[in-house]
Amino acid sequence: MMELLASLENSGFGTWLRESPSIWAYPAVLTLHTFGLGVLVGGNAVLDLRLLGYAPGIPLASLEKLFPMMWAGFWVNAISGVALFVADATTKGTTWVFITKLGIIVVGVLVLFAIRREVYGQNAEAAVATSTSRVLAVASLTLWFLAIVTGRYMAYV
Amino acid sequence: MTETLDTFAFWLRGTQISEAIRVLPWLWPVCEILHFFGLSLLVGVAGFFDLRLLGFMRRVPLSAAWSLMPWAKAGFALSAITGLTFFVGAPDQYVNNLAFYGKLIFLLIAALNAAYFEVAYRKTVERKEADLQAPNAFRIIAAVSLVSWFFVIYWGRMLPFIGNAF
Repeated sequence: MMELLASLENSGFGTWLRESPSIWAYPAVLTLHTFGLGVLVGGNAVLDLRLLGYAPGIPLASLEKLFPMMWAGFWVNAISGVALFVADATTKGTTWVFITKLGIIVVGVLVLFAIRREVYGQNAEAAVATSTSRVLAVASLTLWFLAIVTGRYMAYV
Repeated sequence: MTETLDTFAFWLRGTQISEAIRVLPWLWPVCEILHFFGLSLLVGVAGFFDLRLLGFMRRVPLSAAWSLMPWAKAGFALSAITGLTFFVGAPDQYVNNLAFYGKLIFLLIAALNAAYFEVAYRKTVERKEADLQAPNAFRIIAAVSLVSWFFVIYWGRMLPFIGNAF
């Protein structure tokens, strides 16, 4: 395992990303990771707040359009996240903080699937907030907050 | 100019409140977490409203989208307070930092743009007068908002790389 992490970190890409003084190397990837975070967590926040009863005038059916945006944010962060990991694999790959962060994100994504199924699964045009969807909304907000907590923590390991 | 800024930073760093921020080891990381969470709320909710202003999701009444905006303002407040904490705690990291001024300029543009919308159009939106036919200016205001928040994040991210902040 350690050898694999070391070979990732010492790969041409890992070394370039970590050591290049270019503003287009590590800083650019980290910036993408921040934009993706804003889109993914922000999109979730809009949907979750609506499910919890705020801005009831927004038709839930129209918020289905947020999903492609949230997935775009997710994939930008998955890809930029892999790159950031590779650049620092022996440190990030051996800390419980990273494992915890990944676990939180997996559950967050599963909750997002569950919200889609619960709210838009039957009849997307007549989507309503059910009590299950409200529980999922609270879980979603909590999980993405915890993803930020563990993500910020990563900078200190 | 640099000398004046250094003198100011030196003075601010010596104040009790600045020292208090640096003495608590957990305060800085906690503020970072809240700064990022505030950022997400702000760009998520304001971005959603901007997209609606640009003509996306037309089935959402403008007045209904507007009613979510207090959450964007709460996100902004969270990021502003924690951001101010960073500045007061370690002003020497920012006063000579090019990225910091880049961020401030775009923050100012974003704030003036939002204030203009609030003053000029708040009543129009709240009276649902814009739900059917929105003024053309809304598209420009939305575009300025999206672009300026984009650059606020960009320059914020550049703080440790172009300048010397962490």
